[in-house]
Amino acid sequence: MPSATLLGQALISGVLAGGMYGLLALGLSLSWGLLRLVNLSHFALAFLAAYLTYELGTTYHVAPWWSAMMVVPAMFAIGLVQHWLFDKFRVNELASLLITFSFAVILEVAIQLYWTADYRRFETPYSTLSFKVGAFYIPVLELILCLVAGALAWGTWLWLRRTYVGKALRAAAEDADIAAAYGVDHKKLAYLLSGLGAAYAGISGTFIALIATLAPAQIWTWLGVVFAVVIIGRLGNPLGALFAGMLIGASESLAMAVFSPAWAPVVSFSVLIAILLWNPEWA
Amino acid sequence: MEHRTGVWRRRRVLTGLAGAGFAAALAAPAIVRAAPSGKPVRVGGTLSLTGFLAQTAVIHKIAAEMMVEDINGRNGFLGRPVEFVLLDDQSKPDVARSLYEKLITVDKVDLIQGPYATAPILAAMGVAQRYGKVMIQSSMGIPKLQTYDMAFPATPFGPEPDKTYPNVLLDMMATMPTPPKTIVVLTSKFPSAQFMAQGMREQSEKRGVKVLLYLEYESGNRDFGAIAARVKEANADFLWVGSLGLESNQLLEALRKLDYTPKTHFHLYPAPGPLALSPDGDKALCSTFLEPDEPFMSRPGMKKYAAQYNERATKANLPYTTIDAQACGMISEWQILEAGVNGANSLDDKAIAAWLKKNQVDTIYGTVKFDGPFNHGTALQLVKQVQNKAWKVVWPKEFAAPGVKLIAS
Amino acid sequence: MGMSAAQGLPRLAAAFAVVLFALLPAAGLPAFYDSFFYLVFFWISLATSWALLSGFAGYFSLGHAAFFGVGTYTTATLTTQFGVPFLITVPIAAAMAALLGVGIGAVVFRLRRLRGELFALLTLAVTFVVATIILNTPIDGGAGVFMSAVPLPHILPTATGTIYMLGFIMCVLTLGITWWVVHARLGMGLFAIHDDEDVAEAKGVPTFRYKLAAFALSAGIAGAVGGIHAMYVGFLTVAGTFELTVPLYVVLMSVLGGARHWLGPAVGATAITALLYAFISGGEAMVGRAIVGLILIVAILWLPDGVLPAIQHWLRTRRGPGKLQVGAVVVPVVPPAAQAIKGRPLLEVRGVTKRFGGLQALAGVDLDVREGEIMGLVGPNGSGKTTLINAVSGFYPLTSGSIRVDGVEIGQASAHEIARRGVARTYQIPRPFINMTVLENVSLCATFGGATRSRAEIRDEALHWIAFTGLDGKEEALPAKLNLHERKFLELARALAARPKLLLLDEVLSGLNPAEIDNAIRLVRAIRAQGATIVFVEHLMRAVVELSDRVAVLNEGKLFALGAPRDVMRDPRVVSIYLGKAYAA
Repeated sequence: MPSATLLGQALISGVLAGGMYGLLALGLSLSWGLLRLVNLSHFALAFLAAYLTYELGTTYHVAPWWSAMMVVPAMFAIGLVQHWLFDKFRVNELASLLITFSFAVILEVAIQLYWTADYRRFETPYSTLSFKVGAFYIPVLELILCLVAGALAWGTWLWLRRTYVGKALRAAAEDADIAAAYGVDHKKLAYLLSGLGAAYAGISGTFIALIATLAPAQIWTWLGVVFAVVIIGRLGNPLGALFAGMLIGASESLAMAVFSPAWAPVVSFSVLIAILLWNPEWA
Repeated sequence: MEHRTGVWRRRRVLTGLAGAGFAAALAAPAIVRAAPSGKPVRVGGTLSLTGFLAQTAVIHKIAAEMMVEDINGRNGFLGRPVEFVLLDDQSKPDVARSLYEKLITVDKVDLIQGPYATAPILAAMGVAQRYGKVMIQSSMGIPKLQTYDMAFPATPFGPEPDKTYPNVLLDMMATMPTPPKTIVVLTSKFPSAQFMAQGMREQSEKRGVKVLLYLEYESGNRDFGAIAARVKEANADFLWVGSLGLESNQLLEALRKLDYTPKTHFHLYPAPGPLALSPDGDKALCSTFLEPDEPFMSRPGMKKYAAQYNERATKANLPYTTIDAQACGMISEWQILEAGVNGANSLDDKAIAAWLKKNQVDTIYGTVKFDGPFNHGTALQLVKQVQNKAWKVVWPKEFAAPGVKLIAS
Repeated sequence: MGMSAAQGLPRLAAAFAVVLFALLPAAGLPAFYDSFFYLVFFWISLATSWALLSGFAGYFSLGHAAFFGVGTYTTATLTTQFGVPFLITVPIAAAMAALLGVGIGAVVFRLRRLRGELFALLTLAVTFVVATIILNTPIDGGAGVFMSAVPLPHILPTATGTIYMLGFIMCVLTLGITWWVVHARLGMGLFAIHDDEDVAEAKGVPTFRYKLAAFALSAGIAGAVGGIHAMYVGFLTVAGTFELTVPLYVVLMSVLGGARHWLGPAVGATAITALLYAFISGGEAMVGRAIVGLILIVAILWLPDGVLPAIQHWLRTRRGPGKLQVGAVVVPVVPPAAQAIKGRPLLEVRGVTKRFGGLQALAGVDLDVREGEIMGLVGPNGSGKTTLINAVSGFYPLTSGSIRVDGVEIGQASAHEIARRGVARTYQIPRPFINMTVLENVSLCATFGGATRSRAEIRDEALHWIAFTGLDGKEEALPAKLNLHERKFLELARALAARPKLLLLDEVLSGLNPAEIDNAIRLVRAIRAQGATIVFVEHLMRAVVELSDRVAVLNEGKLFALGAPRDVMRDPRVVSIYLGKAYAA
């Protein structure tokens, strides 16, 4: 049986890794839950942002937080354009899957044409920085990521629940016609939401550039687990997305600490299946 | 807009440069040869230009283009220019299989070259077998699966690398000032890595090195935190990682976040550039067949190939432009094919295969023979180490450059 | 003459295509084309099998790779580890995959809450679990499975020809099965489940059984395809078999071609496979993929419901406008004499209670409804009227008590069983099957509500009820084109098509104007004249008084008063529960 230190460290590592899942899930959950559009290009946008952060950082020596200030608004704009397309053609949920998938493929090809398929690593002095708390090590970058993800999730949740705009969005998501009768301009709100989702992808991308090594094929590695996080956290629920991400990250990590790491997906996804079967009506 | 047009275009552009390179390197008046002429000999093949194997396939592509031009700078194949018809198998074995079928039955290429990585190679091998094409490959890490007797390895794995290579490592470990007594074996569940990991575990136990921990993770694993914690806790004298691509980097970073540096660490098939350049990669050990150093540089053509590869890789915007074992595998493939064609004086697959079986070829890997089981000759897998952010062969000693030796920690 | 030509031409074309492709290997084309067409057949089979459950019934599955992978590894394990001849392993592979599907379905399909995205997630999770198990056990163990040594039967002289033939047979089988499903009751039921599962169940569709059947077929086909594919690939790895491509591509292909049409996924699969191969065999694979992506975007933007529905729509508009009338006045057909009320009770409700967590909706209701009578069911808001209707029709199981219809206990029966016993209901807010025409809506209820009859008989029955409720002329209309009045009458037509003994009407008059209300009252009388017993919930008092033979008043989940309409409505206690409540609120 593994030691308490090992388990504790694995738990910390898993929760922090889950922060990344949650951050990626945030934007996807919003557009899926509130716009009824399944945006597979979310991952490709995140990676585009990551590659841009890398490029600005290595070729022009721009610090990540400055490049984020350029990249994230650019992503927001892309989100607006994407939504314009969906709106103009009145795309339904299933069709959005096909369109965003194709868009993701196009982005992947564009990334590979410019940056090649070879690995790119944005080296910074703080990539492996960590500090010690008792017997445990807490990696700094991942912690910051989780704090940012938490702030974004909390902020979005408050925004959706407390502000007029947020409530209007949720109303429109439930029944656009009735909401319109109450003066809710669904169109404008939908644009805002789409841009926001893309902006979140941009923020995720900044962290991906800092934490992970980039290759175009990596765009698809997060798809399965983030989908799971979005659904288990309930669509359109930002806090749910974050919590679910951390739950899945933690269960994966603990499983790897106790069993052979190759068995980890069985454990985390069995936990998922169990949650679904016994009580999906939470959060 | 097919790939072969690109080859011809680049050929014209680079002929001048290559000419200058030759003159400089040989420091002798350039010998004028008759350029190959006539109907091109078409050699078909696929590489994983997209998908998860793309990072290494791009290296193979550059090396292949280089070799084709090199061959055409000499005599081509039997006086005819060589044309490489390259298709993208997208890292998928079923795509590789159908594309090889297209190349052989529709495009009717004269010869084929093998793809990259075990799964596509085996898929292609099935097709080659059905049509009786000789197939040379350089990256299949499980020799016993090469059951087609007209398939030839360009890389000297030897017939049983899971038994021979661990002993090379264990021999090296025995010469260290404090020989490791305990080992942690960590591996990806990628077939060729897992194969070698099981061999390492077996041979370690046979030679009295205690295996404290044997862990397998699925290839594509995202989070190494828990695995790093287990490795740190085991704290063995030697860490052996059956890694591919970036897994070594991810593991070492995860270990660094736990403030742990493994005493001696070995990585099987990582991407060489990122590991050498990583701040955690110092003194990392790795498997190789060749590095751009002595005694390899004195091998025929090596200096030229190293320079050309560097130039092309830079042009292709690759982050790591030093020639390495992967590129040399592809170089060796073409050297063997050229030797086979010239030796058999024919483009007939059976003749080429028969000649190769009976003869040996001087490649940049040294003399390669095909007389052992599965057409594999002597094993020649070596150990390299990151020293000052560059890879240096350290074992066996006779292959280390003068003045280079293993730096034990 | 015109009708038979329209039917005959597609059949002729289909037969011609089958013969053409069956003979293709003999045409002497290069072997690559055998493999290319094999891949087309492969994707047709996979996409079509996915659509059987996910396109037709709307249960969006992201786990098609699980069944495909189970099939692949069943064949791999049986051939390499146990020496079983390859052909025998294919049906076994199908069976194993079908078993997995049925296993999942048996647990999941009973849970009402696990629909939509949750079902998608569940199937995705199952895929990960299955893949990891295979990766970590001797089935694969990480070393991969080398298939090239397994002997292939000599169906055709070449290996590629043999695999082509197997893929072709599988494709024809899949399309045949799917065509049969679409034209059978199973298909009708699946389409109804897609539009509104609870209503389908209430109309007599055995939803659980049908979903299970669709899932089993879907999974079994995927398993067989996987088994055959194991021989194609040559070297199996877990990562390669269970990668995201299979579950994602089948969705894309079905969406592109039209997920509700039996041939839709096949069209999408052919288009996407051909496009992809056109580019990757040309050498510019990377840019090619981007171009394919662009083509797909344009295609789906232009044809949002898919290629086949767009073609069908175009054909329909070309044939000329239909016989749709706009704004026809709906006048019900009234038969001459009224039927007498019999003495025996048709519906016996005894001590029925229903709790929802802490809320007691029905607190012990005792009620008898006599055969042939019209009983009005009234009461203040929240008194339990709709809950009682839901309980009788089987939407909820009872917490306690018993309900008997025509002497048979139905308190714990499922809704579709209750429907088959002759109970039909309408919904306060009409819930027609939105993707079916009026005729299809009514035909479905006739099919599942009554005894098994021929298509022609059902069609006539449906047309009769459509005329009875005054909707004639609107048979080919989709519900979206009907106004509220027409939709309410569609509810009635659907309920009647099942020839119920007991008809439960839930606020059928709400939202209608006075002229429409008179119409409706006439219709309800006509329905009773046909021999049905009617219980109707209503707030409109004049209708209650006009129509009912007796009135039952519910209050706080219990029967409060029962008797002749005028007596009950003038009862001071009844008045007080209405006024008193309104006053307090």
